[in-house]
Amino acid sequence: MTDDATRTLGKGSPAPGPVSEGLIRLYSMRFCPYAHRTRLVLRAKGISHEVININLRNKPEWYFTKHPFGQIPVLENSKCQLIYESVIACEYLDDAYPGRKLYPYDPYERARQKMLLELFYKILGYQNTIFFGGDCISMIDYLFWPWFERLDVYGIADCVNHTPALRLWIAAMKQDPTVCALLIDKNIFLGFLNLYFQNNPDAFDYGLSC
Amino acid sequence: MSGGSAMSLGKGSAPPGPVPEGLIRVYSMRFCPFAERTRLVLKAKGIRHEVININLKNKPEWFFKKNPFGLVPVLENSQGQVIYESAITCEYLDEAYPGKKLLPEDPYEKACQKMVFELFSKVPSLVTRFLRMQNKEDRSGVKEELREEFNKLEEVLTNKKTTFLGGSSLSMIDYLIWPWFERLEALELNECVDHTPNLKCWMAAMMKDPTVSSLLIDVKTFRGFFNLYLQNSPEACDYGL
Repeated sequence: MTDDATRTLGKGSPAPGPVSEGLIRLYSMRFCPYAHRTRLVLRAKGISHEVININLRNKPEWYFTKHPFGQIPVLENSKCQLIYESVIACEYLDDAYPGRKLYPYDPYERARQKMLLELFYKILGYQNTIFFGGDCISMIDYLFWPWFERLDVYGIADCVNHTPALRLWIAAMKQDPTVCALLIDKNIFLGFLNLYFQNNPDAFDYGLSC
Repeated sequence: MSGGSAMSLGKGSAPPGPVPEGLIRVYSMRFCPFAERTRLVLKAKGIRHEVININLKNKPEWFFKKNPFGLVPVLENSQGQVIYESAITCEYLDEAYPGKKLLPEDPYEKACQKMVFELFSKVPSLVTRFLRMQNKEDRSGVKEELREEFNKLEEVLTNKKTTFLGGSSLSMIDYLIWPWFERLEALELNECVDHTPNLKCWMAAMMKDPTVSSLLIDVKTFRGFFNLYLQNSPEACDYGL
């Protein structure tokens, strides 16, 4: 069980108290890819932390004092300092905490990593049309799709609020007859993954009736 | 070579040679606000550099080997390392060169500057949109949107009770957003700071900074450039030379 396997706080929930010294708090949601970044860095650096999951469809009123628009992730430390935007939060953790540095020391190598991240955003934002290649589905959409179909199985619906173009693209892709015809059933896929991670050779035949 | 008053290089121009040791090169364009960020930081930190201006309406083929996106600014050093994306170039210069640090050393204060930078993120595209609009109604809509974005920065200054966005002295965040405020007068957008008195004071304080004032371009020259740029003229980037 991971450290963030707690129920979300929603409207009407009492505001949490201050963060104890020696800890940092992360406001998160278990399926959000942006918050996931921050959880990865916290773990990689061995930083003592607590997680409060927020119900993104039913946000607690007090949460808007942590983030003006109620977004996640947000870090809060024992000095009541708040840091938001996932990339900023990750860099803050790397700077503020000792141990293994995740960003390289060399300024050029640091810059290279940041340029790569911009490339990633450019991919996401490369669309000014519904599909990556234009107004109709084409090769590039099929080349990207398998990864997004799998992410979709984990339910990122609430998190593509940051990237409305991507949300639209996922919806448009699901209407394509080819994509539709080959869509993996969520339960079967999860069943496969379950067995796969147990190194069970039967994983590959999961869901077949014959 | 001086700081950026050379004719731009266009299609058919010979690619420049390697960057001499002890210098860093910036590929720029005299009127580009993004490239201005990098030039402000180079100047503020006293970094020895050379400028190659690119004709953005007639780009040289070799330029895409420097930046596949074909955009300025781009930094190139004597080791042949290339850095692009304006904010990344600025941070690289602050880290790689000695002297006054423009970004705070404190991790939280540094994060704060980056969060303020996010607050500014919608402004460049709004200003570009405004520049391209002819219709009066559309223009007033964009002005309203700009005022909303400026309000966010006003709030930062009000809460911090300091002259500059990072504290009592000028720092990275101020240089990163300045180029767009420099252009407000030429675009007749000065009224957008009428209801943000702290931001107005900030602009006045910025104009007094020696680095900022050394790179200032007058209203007439900006307008001459905008006029040609909107017509997609290949002469735009060299206006005034």
